[in-house]
Amino acid sequence: MSYLDVEPGAAGESLLLTTDTNATFDNQYMSSSLEEIKNEIEPSETEDSNNESISNVTTYEENSSPMSVDNEDHEDRIQDKKWALMDKHIFVLSLAGKPIYSRYGNEDKLAWLFGVMQTLVSFIQSNDDNLISISAGGINFVFSIKKPLILVAVSRKQESVQQLQNQLNYIYNQIASMLTTSKLIKIYEQRQNYDLRRLLTGVERLINHLLDFAEAEPAFLLGAVQCLSLSSSKRSNISSAIISSCSKIKNIVFAILLANNKLITLVRMKKYSLHPSDLHLIFNLVQSTESFKTVESWAPICLPRFDSSGFLYGYVSYLSEDCQACLLLLTVERDAFHTLKEAKQRIVEKLRRNNCLEAINESLAKPDVNCAESGFLEVRHYLYKSKSTAQFYQPSVSPPYNKYGQVLTDLYKRLHQGLHCSARPLKLFFERRANEAIFAWDTVGFELYIIFEPLVETGNVVAIITRLLNWMKEREDNLFHLQVPTF
Amino acid sequence: MGDETTTSLRNFFIFNPTLGTKEGEELKKILYYHPVTDHVDVQIKNVGLVEGIINFTGTFGVSSDITSLHTQKTRQIFLEAEKNFWMVMILNVPMTTKVKDGVSSPEYLEGAIQDKVYQSVLRQAYFIYRLFWNTFQNTTNKDGVDALKTRLEIFYSAYLKSLKLAHADILNIFSGIQYLPLDKLTFLKVQCLINGLECDYPQVTHTAFLYNDHLIWSSVEPSDMQVLYHYLISTLLPANLEVELQGGSMQRHSTSPFSALRHGRFVTGPSNLKNAKTTGKVPRIYTFSGPTASCYHLIVYRVLSASLCLFVKAEKELDIDFFRKFDSYISPKLTSLVSDIAEYCSKQVSSPSNVPENAPKFIYFNKFNLAYKSTVHLDNKQSGNVTISDEQLKIIADLNTNGSSIEDSTETVVKTLNDYWVVAKTSNYREFYIVEQQRNAHLIDISKDIKTICETELKGIFFQPI
Repeated sequence: MSYLDVEPGAAGESLLLTTDTNATFDNQYMSSSLEEIKNEIEPSETEDSNNESISNVTTYEENSSPMSVDNEDHEDRIQDKKWALMDKHIFVLSLAGKPIYSRYGNEDKLAWLFGVMQTLVSFIQSNDDNLISISAGGINFVFSIKKPLILVAVSRKQESVQQLQNQLNYIYNQIASMLTTSKLIKIYEQRQNYDLRRLLTGVERLINHLLDFAEAEPAFLLGAVQCLSLSSSKRSNISSAIISSCSKIKNIVFAILLANNKLITLVRMKKYSLHPSDLHLIFNLVQSTESFKTVESWAPICLPRFDSSGFLYGYVSYLSEDCQACLLLLTVERDAFHTLKEAKQRIVEKLRRNNCLEAINESLAKPDVNCAESGFLEVRHYLYKSKSTAQFYQPSVSPPYNKYGQVLTDLYKRLHQGLHCSARPLKLFFERRANEAIFAWDTVGFELYIIFEPLVETGNVVAIITRLLNWMKEREDNLFHLQVPTF
Repeated sequence: MGDETTTSLRNFFIFNPTLGTKEGEELKKILYYHPVTDHVDVQIKNVGLVEGIINFTGTFGVSSDITSLHTQKTRQIFLEAEKNFWMVMILNVPMTTKVKDGVSSPEYLEGAIQDKVYQSVLRQAYFIYRLFWNTFQNTTNKDGVDALKTRLEIFYSAYLKSLKLAHADILNIFSGIQYLPLDKLTFLKVQCLINGLECDYPQVTHTAFLYNDHLIWSSVEPSDMQVLYHYLISTLLPANLEVELQGGSMQRHSTSPFSALRHGRFVTGPSNLKNAKTTGKVPRIYTFSGPTASCYHLIVYRVLSASLCLFVKAEKELDIDFFRKFDSYISPKLTSLVSDIAEYCSKQVSSPSNVPENAPKFIYFNKFNLAYKSTVHLDNKQSGNVTISDEQLKIIADLNTNGSSIEDSTETVVKTLNDYWVVAKTSNYREFYIVEQQRNAHLIDISKDIKTICETELKGIFFQPI
């Protein structure tokens, strides 16, 4: 099917850093970006700033409620059984076996289990080898050793080891984004037995949210970001409002405007770009922090793929009462809160004058069309990822999946694993089943995943794909963010 | 690319944790360990890791008899073959040496080992042992742990040498049987012969009849036949064929060069009926499909390409007289039957030369009768003599592994990175895999091709239309 050269959403230059989803595994963190930016203006910046900012983290923390533990033995046993059978456990521990995080249950009560996991890992390391995974009875146990942490997933879901490893990567990055990896490594160099939980209050909530979020959002699977549908002129109006309002302010690295888990625009410093997985962490932060809605905030954020050694400082605020889009201005300056607060006010004024707020609200209020509405009766749902821009598009979910989101998620996981199995990747995967026909296609320019009606004819499949690509091509200015605005 | 290694055996051991529960008695748990060159401490450590992993996974309510442990350099498969008896197979992950910037570093190809394939290899290793020696538990109860250790040592030291790990594939998962389809009349002749035989020799409780490597008739339960079949075609019959080719045990008492061939002989039993004083070596085997294990003498009688297996209850004493009588009873009947079968087969066989080189290759398996058919494998010696690439063969096993267990009928079409197509069709407990050698074909062409192949190759086989 290589004769199809329609490639919606493709662009020569990309807003986001594009790497294959698989590349997220090798974790090539850039670590010099921050230094470069700072050095251009202000050559000296001290290490201490990192320590200080850790305490700042707590400013936007919400109460994390530890699970209440019933002391009665009987209750305990029932709890234990329930606990053991949870769909997906996630554990984080230090190389020395200190508990840091457990998705379910109280870490201290599970200390022995963390000890077991640490022993298994170090035992195999003593043979000059590495523990990767265990599978038994349909359950996958996946280990990821990222110095100085060990991350473990125990999943009963239909996920591949590779997909679980990807999720563990996100969790590691989430922890790194609160502390920076340099800090993390330094802590354990000084004290092997350090209880990291002291520094990570609040992160538990972010990790919990991240796990649910990654489960439901195809963005994580695809390593891409979805944009809010907007006409390209409105989108460029918004971008230029941000650029002009910030033009006099030094050292803003990224300005991000998002709403409802979709990107509206991203303005960046020339030379620097943002990796989708970093943007996912930002989405997660915004989604899981209710207080941003009421209070404008100032938070240090480390973006591990951008620079894992230091913090960016983020001014976070929703645009206005009448427009629920969230603006983040990320800078290397530690004390630019007031400057950025003023910038935000200018941005909102400009957007209001250009009717951009209305346009955003309109797009937010109007759900995306579903497949049937756009004339694809045999298609139930699809995901399209433009590789060159790391953006994806999906129509709104229609029956039968609107009530059974998990079914859809599992189908996409299956398709994704079919294409991207690291040992034997495939170009195309098409499966007919009793309930649906599922299709996945990996080309040079894009990845396409489609859920068809079960009785679709193979001859039709090819015709539908061609129509679908053309349909998106006609609307690509709306569905994708194809410009690359910079400061 | 530099040096490459293939999947190979690192360790193979059997242990029972209940045999050495006290500290310092760990060695008592180990019933068999390969290789013996491993230091005792290493043995204890390896067993300890398996126990550690089992306990850990048990915390999460795993109740599976089989576990795979993936490490960067090894793949370890644990099978609880019987309660508290664990069999462990540790494989070396294949490796290539990558040279980057003048520095060579090893790269381990984890994906090259497919769990399900090697889990089947391990299960098979247990079943073959059990075929000859009954269960571990039975030996322990009757003859004690030391007897078990001796038997394991004798059996596995030889068995492990015969393992062909590098070429294990989808056929290990199926562990299927190749049947020989016959026309009604010929099949009826086989039936008559066997029914007559079972009537005239009531001590024969079951029979199985093979032509070359193909099974024609068996009155043994399929699950037992499955194990026996593999023993016959992979060990007993090939070994016998070698002897035959060397001209060793053939009886040459006639002047005609052909008459010698027309006579049968015992593969297990007395080798030379005229002079033999004893019954020779007749193996005892155990079957497990009944409520308890049953023990039989396995007598195999061969005429030309046909092998007749007789199951006689172990309690019955065999004497040389029985063999002599049976030989003269069956030899003429079987000889004429075999020539009928040979004639029928010669009409059916489509020689490989008239099949175009790039015709699609396929593998078919039926879970109900364990039948398989493959145009991918050129022999069933597991020698890697296959008509498709290693990658394609592995994709077939992937499709089998990832295939949904809930779905009743599916059709999966995939295109590989180098533009070959592999198709998997499952329906009604049948599995059918096709590898298209046509590059750059179109999805539509492929779906047409599948229909044609199903019609020509699987005519009359019930596939639910999907």
